[in-house]
Amino acid sequence: MTSAGAAEGIRIRNVAKRYGSTIALDGIDLDIRPGEVLGIAGPNGAGKSTLMRVIAGEERPDSGTLTFDGRPWFPSLDWQEVAVVHQEPQLFPNLTVAENMLVGREGRRVGRPRLGLDDAGVMQALGIGAVKGRILADCTLATQQRTEIARAVAREARVFLFDEPNSALTDEESDELFREMHKLAGEGRIVLLVTHRLGDLVEHAGRVAVIRDGRVRKVIEKPDLTEEAIAEQLVVGAGGAQVDAPQSSSSPGREVFRVSGWSHGDVFRRVDFSLARGEVVALMGVEGSGARELLRSFAGLERCTGTIALDGTSGVSAFRHTAFVPATRLESLYSNFSVGENLIARLGRPQIAGPTYALRKRRMRELAEQAVRRFLVKTRTITQGVRSLSGGNQQKVAIAQALTLEPKLVLLEEPTRGVDIQSKSEIYRLLRAFALEGNAAIMFCTEVLEIFEAADRVIVVSDGRLSAPLTVRDFPHIEALAAAITRLERHTRLGTGETAAGVAA
Amino acid sequence: MTAQSETPVDQDRQGLSAAGSATFDIALRMGGLFIAIILVALVIFIIKPNSFNIDVGISVLRAMSSVAIMSLGLLLVIVVGEIDLSFGAMYGLGANALAVMWIVWGVPVYLALPLAILIGAVVGLFNGLLVTGLRIPSFIVTLGSYNLLYGVSLWITRTSTFNPVYPPPGVEIPEAQLDFFTGLTASYGAHPISLEVMWMVVIAVVVGWLLHRSLFGFRLTAIGGNPVAARLARLPVTRYKILAFMLCSALAAIAGILDFSFIQTTQPNIGLSYTFPVFAAVIIGGASLAGGKGTVIGTMAGALLLAELQQGLALLSPGPHVQQLFLGAVTIGAVALDLGLTHLRKRREA
Repeated sequence: MTSAGAAEGIRIRNVAKRYGSTIALDGIDLDIRPGEVLGIAGPNGAGKSTLMRVIAGEERPDSGTLTFDGRPWFPSLDWQEVAVVHQEPQLFPNLTVAENMLVGREGRRVGRPRLGLDDAGVMQALGIGAVKGRILADCTLATQQRTEIARAVAREARVFLFDEPNSALTDEESDELFREMHKLAGEGRIVLLVTHRLGDLVEHAGRVAVIRDGRVRKVIEKPDLTEEAIAEQLVVGAGGAQVDAPQSSSSPGREVFRVSGWSHGDVFRRVDFSLARGEVVALMGVEGSGARELLRSFAGLERCTGTIALDGTSGVSAFRHTAFVPATRLESLYSNFSVGENLIARLGRPQIAGPTYALRKRRMRELAEQAVRRFLVKTRTITQGVRSLSGGNQQKVAIAQALTLEPKLVLLEEPTRGVDIQSKSEIYRLLRAFALEGNAAIMFCTEVLEIFEAADRVIVVSDGRLSAPLTVRDFPHIEALAAAITRLERHTRLGTGETAAGVAA
Repeated sequence: MTAQSETPVDQDRQGLSAAGSATFDIALRMGGLFIAIILVALVIFIIKPNSFNIDVGISVLRAMSSVAIMSLGLLLVIVVGEIDLSFGAMYGLGANALAVMWIVWGVPVYLALPLAILIGAVVGLFNGLLVTGLRIPSFIVTLGSYNLLYGVSLWITRTSTFNPVYPPPGVEIPEAQLDFFTGLTASYGAHPISLEVMWMVVIAVVVGWLLHRSLFGFRLTAIGGNPVAARLARLPVTRYKILAFMLCSALAAIAGILDFSFIQTTQPNIGLSYTFPVFAAVIIGGASLAGGKGTVIGTMAGALLLAELQQGLALLSPGPHVQQLFLGAVTIGAVALDLGLTHLRKRREA
């Protein structure tokens, strides 16, 4: 704090990073000042996580400069300076809290390392002194995160990145976590908060940088800092492609799917939900809201109570007419299989095997080739390994794998995460075509753009509660939809019963 | 690149089962194994030309058959992404249970033999239920059942050996039953070849059909390749894993019974020493312990190479240590080669 240069914090200038043909960062300029909490917001795939990795020293930028208090700074060499607090702490669950403090700082002594006085002080200050002898795996997530913070404080880290830190915490736990965060900032450290929860950004960040397409789109400062302002910057100018995919006819078809009294432990309770033929509905919710679990439960992948009915079937046999597509291709594709085998991997008798369980090889090839054509998979052959395809085409294979089962209801988790723009619109068209055949689709989304382009209705899930639905077509442009969803999210979170109509108005 | 650029042409012929780039790996692997088998034969021929004749070849085939049968069972378990350590003990229990039921309890062999195989299936069910139901890692479950099965063998045999030709005093084995039992592995032809070799071939064809030509094998490979995806796609993961364990244990029992028929003697501890050669055969044959990868033809070639080494080294008699050294070197070498090839292919694709 002696000279201007010493206190200026981190300056990021024109930092770029590519992965193959994908541009992750396209010239980022950002100032991060000590003593403040800088919020970072951005859609998935905008370059947010790449930027975090660059600051954390896990990734070296291709070009551009970083300076720290006026001096050139290379986080990949100075990684001790930076601490990342993850939503799932990256620690040693088999060791005690105290041992976790020491790992990596044992020094050169031969004996078993012991806690120093300083360490004990740090742990007391963070409120984990009392549990220092406990095995980390037996501690709550909040304690684990505190241990992660304590480790970083003890090694005198000056930069703290909070990466979606409270998505799995209770309200009180996240309040305490944010108090610690402000304490760190108040001591002159640099603090970044990355989260999808706009409410937290507004409440806890001094400024919020919105990152899109690998650039800093805008830095929003008080007094303009509101949830709506962030939501608008997240989507503005991104869409207008709503007409791109044929929307369902104005009068929704007959009801095809219904759950009532649908409950799953503490995640959600007595949910009532129904869906008409030809409809594509989006469930929007941050991590921990219960939206993801709700979607999986419709495929019979979670233990739930309540009644479920799908196209004249109910209970377990209803699940058989659903197909679930997970968000990551690590959970949907078989890397030991070819493209063709992946496309038909969910089929059984009689589609690909005869009554004796003998595989019908020719039929398998025909089905795979049909699927390649129908789902526009760009592949040279159906025999090449599935990992040789581009990300967008791998995702098409994952979705095609589910749709070849001919389900009545397809359940997709973030259907276009990490997918290029062209594949995205192709995937939306495929989903629309599938719905128009008399089926229905439910997507779990975290992006407004996806909802605007692909869904008929959107329902916001917060703390296991469902909002009233918004009809996407009622919104002339994406900014209006984003603002309405943000308002709806806040009302659902706070439990105030504003109607969807009131929000849309 | 070479193999990949050919695939569009070959597409009609090969369907879609052998994934393009993997075909190249399998071809290399099979080619390597084939060359190794020829090389070993050549070395033996050069050192000891006299001992190189068709009878030695036939004895190699006979010697490999029980290892091969167990390897095929283990292959199914490894393809589905699990481990079975208990098949060696199951081999022993299969033979000993048959011996006790037949020779001590007087159960006719026609009934005792299928019962002994059934015991194998039940043991596999036990392993499979513990692995899938209680989520105990298969390594631990089958390490435990290895000891349990050996314990049962010691218990029911009261640590004694059995030979149906020389039954204990006061026991009469009917001639017809004895003929039936020894006939299972009788040798025929000018150069006598045991029927055990035929059983091995039949089992290889059946397992080959199961793994490469049936829905069972297709899904087994999928589950081994990505168990999470298989569960989310609601494939019958639990059932197929249990079936793989049951087949593995039943085949181990069959291998024990066939060797019993050929050697005509059982001891409580037979089979235990097969654990490592059988694993080696499957791994040398190109299966991945990570699951989702493995072929019947590779496993058979692995078993053949091991039997050839064993018989060849017995002929050359350089000492007991050499055989062990070779077994170790070949196993590590094969996997190192495999990893090297995969690495090469990845680099070529990138």
